[in-house]
Order: sequence, then structure tokens, then C-alpha cells
Amino acid sequence: MSAVITPEGHMQNTPANTRGPIIEAIDVVKTYDTGKVKVNALRGVNLSIEPGEMVAIMGPSGCGKTTLLNCLSGLDVIDAGAIHVEGVDLSKLSDDKRTEHRAKRMGFVFQFYNLLPVLSAVENVELPLLVSGVKSKEARRKSLEALQVVHLDHWATHKPAELSGGQRQRVTIARALVNDPAIVWGDEPTGDLDSQNAGEIMDLLQQLNREKGQTFVLVTHDHGIAARTQRIIRMQDGQIIADERVEPAGTASAQVP
Amino acid sequence: MDSLFGLSMNLIMYVLLGLLALSLAVSLIVLFRDRIIFMIGLRNIPRRVSQTVLIIVGLMLSTVIITAAFTTGDTVDYSITKEVYDLLGHSDVVLDGQTAGVKELPGQPPVQPSGDDAGGHSVSAGQYNAFLAAADAAHLPDVDGYTGIIFAPVPAFNTTTNLSEPDVILTGVDESRMQALPDILDDDTGAVLNLADLGENEVYMNRSAADKLDATAGETVNTYIAGKQHTLTIKAIVKTNALSGAHSAQNKKGMVASLSTVQNLLGFERLDNILISVTGGDRPTLDTVDSVKTEVQTLLIHHGLALEVSDTKADSVHDAEKIGNVFATFFLLLGLFSIGAGMLLIVMSFVMLAAERKTEMGMARAIGAKRRHLVEMFIAEGTGYDLMSAMVGVLLGVAVAFALATAASALFSSFGLQFVPHATLRTLVISYSLGVVLTFLTVLFSSWQISNLNIVRAIRDTPDPPGKRMGWRGLTFWILALLFGALNFWLGLSSGLAFPFAFGFSLCGMAIVVLATHFGAPPRPAFTTMSIFLLVFWGLAAGDRLNSIFGHLDGGPEMFFLSGVAMVTACTFAIIYNSDIFLGIVERVGGLFSSLLPALRTAIAYPMANRFRTGMTLAMISLVVFALTMMSAMNLNYDKLFAADESRGGWDVQVVENPNNPIPAIQQALQEKNSPVAGNIAREGTIELAGLDVSASEVSQDGVDWSDYPVHGLSDGFLEAGTVPLDKIANGYNTQQDVWLALKNEPDTAVTDGFTIQSGGFGGDQITIEGIPSDISEKKYDAPKVTVRDAVSGKTREVRIIGVIAFGASNNFQGIGMGARSFEETFGPPVASIHFLTLNDPSHSQDVAKEIESTLVVTGVQADSLEQIAEENNALSRNFLYLMQAFMGLGLVVGIAAIGVISFRTVVERRQQIGMLRAIGYKRSTVALSFLMESSFVTVLGVLSGMGLGLWLAYFLVTSSDFPAQNATFHVPWLQLAFFAVLTIVASLAMTWIPARQAASVPTAEALRYE
Repeated sequence: MSAVITPEGHMQNTPANTRGPIIEAIDVVKTYDTGKVKVNALRGVNLSIEPGEMVAIMGPSGCGKTTLLNCLSGLDVIDAGAIHVEGVDLSKLSDDKRTEHRAKRMGFVFQFYNLLPVLSAVENVELPLLVSGVKSKEARRKSLEALQVVHLDHWATHKPAELSGGQRQRVTIARALVNDPAIVWGDEPTGDLDSQNAGEIMDLLQQLNREKGQTFVLVTHDHGIAARTQRIIRMQDGQIIADERVEPAGTASAQVP
Repeated sequence: MDSLFGLSMNLIMYVLLGLLALSLAVSLIVLFRDRIIFMIGLRNIPRRVSQTVLIIVGLMLSTVIITAAFTTGDTVDYSITKEVYDLLGHSDVVLDGQTAGVKELPGQPPVQPSGDDAGGHSVSAGQYNAFLAAADAAHLPDVDGYTGIIFAPVPAFNTTTNLSEPDVILTGVDESRMQALPDILDDDTGAVLNLADLGENEVYMNRSAADKLDATAGETVNTYIAGKQHTLTIKAIVKTNALSGAHSAQNKKGMVASLSTVQNLLGFERLDNILISVTGGDRPTLDTVDSVKTEVQTLLIHHGLALEVSDTKADSVHDAEKIGNVFATFFLLLGLFSIGAGMLLIVMSFVMLAAERKTEMGMARAIGAKRRHLVEMFIAEGTGYDLMSAMVGVLLGVAVAFALATAASALFSSFGLQFVPHATLRTLVISYSLGVVLTFLTVLFSSWQISNLNIVRAIRDTPDPPGKRMGWRGLTFWILALLFGALNFWLGLSSGLAFPFAFGFSLCGMAIVVLATHFGAPPRPAFTTMSIFLLVFWGLAAGDRLNSIFGHLDGGPEMFFLSGVAMVTACTFAIIYNSDIFLGIVERVGGLFSSLLPALRTAIAYPMANRFRTGMTLAMISLVVFALTMMSAMNLNYDKLFAADESRGGWDVQVVENPNNPIPAIQQALQEKNSPVAGNIAREGTIELAGLDVSASEVSQDGVDWSDYPVHGLSDGFLEAGTVPLDKIANGYNTQQDVWLALKNEPDTAVTDGFTIQSGGFGGDQITIEGIPSDISEKKYDAPKVTVRDAVSGKTREVRIIGVIAFGASNNFQGIGMGARSFEETFGPPVASIHFLTLNDPSHSQDVAKEIESTLVVTGVQADSLEQIAEENNALSRNFLYLMQAFMGLGLVVGIAAIGVISFRTVVERRQQIGMLRAIGYKRSTVALSFLMESSFVTVLGVLSGMGLGLWLAYFLVTSSDFPAQNATFHVPWLQLAFFAVLTIVASLAMTWIPARQAASVPTAEALRYE
């Protein structure tokens, strides 16, 4: 069992795998207005992602892939269209409710780790739990378990500055997973890592995807990373230009209907 | 104000102008040598307007405090000087009749004693006439004229308004000699009035008396002299000044008539003074006055006249300047805490600017800029801020001083003190120059520090590695600091001076720890041990508890500042190096409120991780709160001392009799009037006065140097009561009662007040009697001898000081007290007496005092409840304290500004982290709360640290043997401390409010892109 937010904004326990897509974007439009210039970052994007999928969003710089991730995860608001996550229309939620939703149902992995430098690894990991109202002892126990999953339990009391890039990203993954979220968002999760560390991180993400059935949406420009997901969405000029299913090594990929 | 710390203000101004020119020259050299660099520096100023405003506010605070201190000195100087000129008018030199100290020349007529001083009126008619004859014959070139004056306090009753005053000064002036002293001025028109125009029983009443009696011209007042009623008609209301009866700043109520009229009313032909008007109007030059003084003294000696120059207007003006200097110095010393905090803020502002521009600076260095260029860039920017902020600082400083003057006038109006705001151009120039130079030097130091960066780390904006060892420059600095500290320590010990001793000790402690950690000692135990050691050292040193090891060391008010800086530094290190303990405590508390925990965790983690910023801010707040706490605690404990029951010495009411209407016994007088109060009097004692002011009696221990000091006669009733507490008793006497009875039975014994054994103690009319230990714990001593002298007759008497009145009671019983018979043998019949009454029911002592005044109104007695006097005195010192605290509170603005600078900066610095927090579930309100808690956390630490240290030091002082009460209970000013704490925390919250809102509204998606 896990919790979702009802269309009215209330938290409700539901089976993890609900009917239909876990993420659905309908004619999503997002425009940045800098005063002098208007940038159409998303121009009528339609997208549907099923629970447990591992999806990569690819495209050249400025194509709108990070904007799409931000809008889908509720970090940013859209100008037109609708986004449903676990059946909830995000645009109808207040900022606080969206934040609460993120805290309980989503995890984030960023390129530059975005760990708080003043907190230790375990303290960083337990932040989403504390903000969700979990008691501090329970939060500590779960955080140490999460660090164990990413093989960093011996580094729990170290601060980010004392960890390598790969270790930092593992802490970020532990933080993203500690709440047992339905969806994990990754914005260039291996962008700041060398190929060996990047490979190890992807191994870890794939393993978690397999074992926990969580949905992963990763923004990347690395074809090697994208190839290790189940589906690649290609974007250009704020629009999706291709949506391909990645077949296991040795088979051809197919278009998603 | 002409001098400060013994240096001429003109010299100070010229030196500072030179330094200002040097500072500007450095900036100009940068401009001409590296124009681009200079312009880059200047263009940084408008980059972030809110930050620039905060930096200017931070930089100007030192100038505000400096200007306010100097301008306060100017104001006090000007106000007192103005009061002197207004009161004295054309009276430039004053003569009175005294034998003591008047020289006799061989071959000249012997000095004619003035004889019976007839109630303090020390100039006989014969002396007056002889002087006039001699002076007229001498035709002194710089003298306009002379006149004689007599004054006597009398009760006055307005028959129209039924208002009465017990002590209006009835003044008589020789109307035939007033041409040179045209100071009887109509209050409305300012026209000069002539005393010769007054008819029989007519007077001019001055404005001060008229206000009190609600009197107007044409009305009549009844006055009582020697029990006889006289009715006087007010012919006109005149301006208040010395000739119209203004006797002192406390009592300016007066009425004036011709000399003969007043002498007839009083029943004798004597005078109090001869006034001399010097050429040059009401503001003659100092040289002229000096020359007249010398000529008059020669004249007196040649004619054998027992008169002497007792005072000159120039002396009073000089005193005014001295008081102005004292105020400016005092305010500067108090302001040092805030100035120190202000300088820390400047350093911190520039370090934060450097942190913000780290990448740019790294890039600049990478493409060829030298370290010098970075320094120059900051100098250019700093000079821009500096010149602007000093200008604003001077203007605000003047405004602060003027506000203080206005507040002081309101607070002290009942004491006749009026402060007229005043600032001189010289003060403004000095303040501006000092502000610019101090800020420039601090900027220079900060620029040099922050220009030392690692280029790669700067470009990548990565933090310096932890545990970075100091370079050879740092090592050399701290070794030199250690040597310098040791030198000071040795100098202090060898010269007996506390400042170099304590400074050297503290510096050595700091240097040893820094060097020890450099060579591998673990920082946390090292700094913690050093901090605790220094805190204990300062506590013990403040209470003179180290005397047995290091001997007695002399220290002044500068020790207050040094102790604050040293203790705050030590405590700040202790807090910063043990921050995890605070984290643990706060987290445990926060754990009880789980909804607060996320905000709390980041709120504490950030400041504890950034030791430099937190330490600096903490120190700034702590320093000022320390000073405020210390002052409040010491003031409260002294208040308690003087307000304690022992301060009344077993008496409840004091009745000061009018010298013209002596009353042998108050109880008897009340019984004669059938007053019900008479039955409430359990006991009565009397203190007999040698004169109406302090110059009537003199005291000397060597028979050569004489000081004016009150000498009293104590009646048998007073001595038999024996209730005034004694702190010390001479060997040979066992109990207090023994001492008091000895005064009655042994003719050459006396007691003294507690002020006379405190060297350099409580200002004003202060003498120090050698041979009595000042240490409160030493109760017995061998009685020293002092000689007392009647200033008029010159009669002396040697007495043994066999007891010292308790410090707390010394305010009410100040002076040398002798048995009444011994006193009268030396000083003759008392000029006036103060009666002390013990009541059967003391709970209504104020009502009793009012009833006595009312019953004996025609005698002009002034009765007061001693409890009320203590409360009024405390109110005065409390008001003064509030004024000081308001001034010192400026320093809190520094700390609050620091909080603001940090908060604004952290919003920029943590933008991406804020985005991440929002992404993982921090609501806007949680982010804002975290910021508010962060500033509150640092503020609370600073407040607690400052208060703890202030109370720590105050406790050691109050419980030491230097404090003038043994086994004193330490009182904590809880209410004031709560006020400071709430004020500081609310102010810091208000300052963080805007940045907290900014942080909360950071767009999450944009912030996450931010690099």
C-alpha cells in the first residue's frame, strides 16, 4: 500500500499500481517570459507513462526536456493543458499541496547532487522523511537502511565535501528513495560523473526499478544511459518528436503507440 | 571641548585630516595607476542595491557612535557654559571672607579676621568698605566695578495664590554699585531695572520663584525671619540669575532688594560676597580675568584684608569644559563596544562580498590580475562606500546626540539641568575624518585578507579544504603576538597596571592556543580549555582575587572594554568549537515538535557549519549585550546598596532647618503647634553644619594640603541613638555603640563617610583619607589623624578617625562627623542644622514629612522621607543609566545589521539548495521559517553569551572585597535583561523577514538550474 493525493487534495492510501498511466500530460504548454523575449519551452506536449516504467527524455540543449521534467514533477507550473500524476491534476493543487505530494510520492536525483553541504549524508537522506512528518528516530533508521541499499552505510556521518562524486550521487539516490516514492525523477543523474561511476549509478537505478517497481523518468543527453532505460522520448523545440520503446540488447526498438 | 585624553582637539583634528588625506591619496593612486581596476571596483557598488544599503549602514555605524560621543561632549560643555554665563551675568570674579590661606606680607598690616561669620555671611561691613576704598583708589584698569551681595534662604508665602516655598533666596545687592553689573533685567522686556527704584518692603522676584509661587507683579509674599513675619511686595518679575537670587542649579528661586533692605530684614550688616565685573562685557577674556585676579589678590594682601578670590567665571567655564570632556570620554569609552562591533561588521561585509565574487576574482587572477589588483578593486569599492557612509554617519551621529540631549533635559529637569544641543565644526571634521580613516583601515585589512585565494578553487567555487594550516605569515604574526603579549604582561606586573597585565595575559593565552593547534594540538579541547581559562581569569581578576598572586594592579574604565573584548572572544571560540553540543540539544528539543524539525535542522546546521560568519555575528551581538548587562547589573546592585534599610541609618525623616529660623528641637516645635505628628517621633538627633556649602570647612591629613569637605557636629541625641551603621571600627573600640559614644565623650574623635576611603571614588567633593584599608573585609585599623579647619576663622582641630560609616549610608551622612561640643569649639555655633527623626510608625514617612513642612511652614523647614530621597537618587542614576543604554544600544544595530547582511547574502548563496529543499518537500513557509530560525538562533546565542558574560563579571565584582558592602547579595536585573533579549530578537527577526520571504518565493525550477 502507498499513499496518493485525491483530486480534492487529500492524502489517501491506495494500491501502488493504480489503473491507467501514472503520469499523463495533455497539451502541455509552458512559456518563459523574460520581458523582452518569450520562449516557448513546451508547445502542446502529450505524454503518458505507465507505472514501473523507466523512461529517458532526450534531446538537444534548450529543447525543453528539463522544463518537461519540472512541469511533470510539479516543480514548475504550466501555462496551458493538464498534468495528471497518479490521477491527480497537479495544476489544481495549491503550492503547499503540490509540495506535500512531492515529499511523499516523488524522489529527485539531480546532476549536481544538490546535497546540503552542512549536513552529513544520513542527515541529508532523512530530510524528506522529516518534512513528511516521520518521527526523527524512525527517519534515522530508514535513512541508514537507504544508505545501506546504495552501499554507503559506512559513510553515513560524512559530509558531502568528504565524499567522491559517485558517492554523493548515491547519497542523492538514497535521499530520493528513502520515502519509497512512486516516481523518481532524474535530471542528468550521471552528467557530472565519469563513465565508470555513471555505469554503476545506472546499474543501481535499474536494480531499484526492477526490485521496487518504481517509475523512473530520467532526462539525459547520454545515449548510453538512455539505452539502458525501457523507453526513450525525444524532444525538439518544445515538442516530442519521437517516443520509442527500447528493446533488450540485440532486438530493434519500436515506436510507442 | 578643547582636549581629549590629554591631547588638544586641534592637534587631533590636524592629525586626522592628514590621515584622511593619506587615505584619499591611496585611492587616487589606484585610480591613476589602474583606472580599469578602480572602475570595476566602483561599478560593484550599484550591483545589488539592498546589499549596498546594508553595507553603507554597517560602515556608517562607527561614525555615528563617534560623532554622537563628541557631539554629546560639545553639548554638555556648551550647556554648562551657557548656564554659567546666564547665571553670573557680569559677575566675573567673586570674593569672600576667609582667613585661611590668605598670605601676610612683612611690613603690611596684619590680616583682619572677619570675626564671627554670623551664619556663613563671611564678609563684614568693615571689610567691604575697606575693600571698596582700596579698590577705588587703585583704579584697576581692567575692572568695570564692584558690588556687595548678601543672600539668605527664607520661606515665602504668596498671599494671593496661597502657594509657599521654604527656600527662596532673599538677595541684597549694593544698589549704589550696580552700574557695572546691570543684571537685574525685566523678565518680559529685558530692560535693566534699578534696585534704587524699589520702595520700602518692595522686591523684584525672579522668574523661577514666580513660577513656583505663581506670583505676578503687585502681589505680596510673606516671609519669616527669626520667627518674625515680613510682608514684601513684588514690584516686578525679573530674569533668573545670580543677582536675582539664583543660588545654584538646584535652587534658582530668588528675590532681590537693595543691600540695606535685606540687611535690615536679616538684622545684621554683613555680606556674603563682593562681586567684581571685569571689562569686556559678560564674556571677558581669560587673560583679563587672570590679570584682575592677580591684581585683586595683591590689593587684598597690601591692605591686610581677610578676603580671597573664591571663584571666577572663567573657573566655572573651565569646569564646564572639563565636564564636557568627561562626558565625551565616557561616551567614547561606552561606544568602544559598538565601534568594535562596527569594525567587525565591516570585515565581515567585505569577506562576504569576496565570497560572492569568488569566481569572478578567480577568473580575474587566471587571466593575469595580480593579488594587488584585487586589493585595489576592493579599496576603490570600499572608498566609495566609506565616503558616503561617513557623511551619513556624521549627520546621524549629530541627530543621535541631539536626541540624547533632549531626552537628558527631560529626564533631569527636576535637577535644574538643561542640555542645549550643540555641535562645533571641529567636532564634525574630527568625527568624519576618524570615521573615514577607521573604515578605510578596516577595508584595507579586509581586502588584503580576502585577496589571498586559490585560483582553481575560486573559479570552481569550491570551499577551502578543512584543516588548512596557516602560512609563514600567520605563524610569524602569532609568534609576535605571543611575544607582544608576554611583554605587556611583564610591563603590567612591573608597573602595577591592570590593563597591560590583563591584555598581555589574554593575548598570550590566545596565541599559545593558535600556535598549539598549528603544531598538531586538537582544536576543540585546545580552544575550549583556553576559553574557560580566560573566563575564570577575568572573573578572578575583576574581583581582585588574584592580588595574593600578582599584587594589587590599578585599572580604570578601560578595563571594562578590555574585559568585554577578551571574554566575548573566549566565549565565542568556546561556542563555535562546541557547536555540535548545541546542535544535539536543539535537535532533542526540536524532536518534540516534529513539524519544526526540518526547518530547525537547516536553521542550526548552516550557522554552525560557517564558523567565521557565525562567530563574527555572535561576537558583535554578544559584545554589546555584555556591556548592557554589566551596566544594568552593577547599577541595580548599587541601587540596592543605597536603597537598603541601612542607608537610612535608623532614621526615617530628615528636616533641614532654615538658617534664618533655627529650631532647637523639631519634636518640641511640633508639640507647641499641637501637631499629631509629634507623638509619632520616637527619637531625634541633629547634625550641625559648619556652613551652607562645602567650602565652609576644610580637611587635611598633612596640615599643608587642604580640601573643602563637609565637617559636621553630631548632637548627643544622634550619638546616643548610634544607629548609623559603620563598616569599620578603629582598634581600641569594640562595637559601633562604643564609637558613637566615644564621639560624645572623647573630644578629639570623629567618624568619616565610606567615600573617603575609596581612592578615586565617586567624583565631586571627594577626599581620600590615607591609613584606612579600602578592602571591605578588613574591619579593624589603627585610627589615622586628620585636621579639620573652619574656613572662615581658620581655627583647626586634630581628630582621630575612629569609625567609617557604611558605604550604603554614606550618601545621607556624608562628611567628617564630630561630637557637637568639639565641633562648636572649632567651628562656633552651627550655621544651620539637619534634624533626623525616627518614627514609631515609619510606614508613612512621606506623609509625616509633608505634615512637618506644613506645620512649620513659617520657619521654612524642608522635610523629606529618607526612603523617598533614596528612591529619588536611584531614579536619577536609573535615568542616567537608561540614557547610557540607549546610546550603547546603537551597537545592537550593528549586530542586527550583520544579521541582515548575512541573511540577504545567504538567499543568493543558497538559491540552488533552496530549490532542492522545495523539490524534496519543504513548503514555502518551512523555508521562510528556517531562515527566521537561523537568524534567531545566532541572535539568541549572542544574547545568551553576552548576558552570561556580563552577569559572570558583575557577580565577581559585586561579591568581591572591592565592592563597598560585605556579603552583598547579587541581584540580577531580570526585567531589563528580558527587555534586551526581546528587543534584540524581535529586531533580528524583523531584519530577516524580507530575505526569508525572498527565500520562500525562490522559483523551484529556476533555482535548480542556478549554478
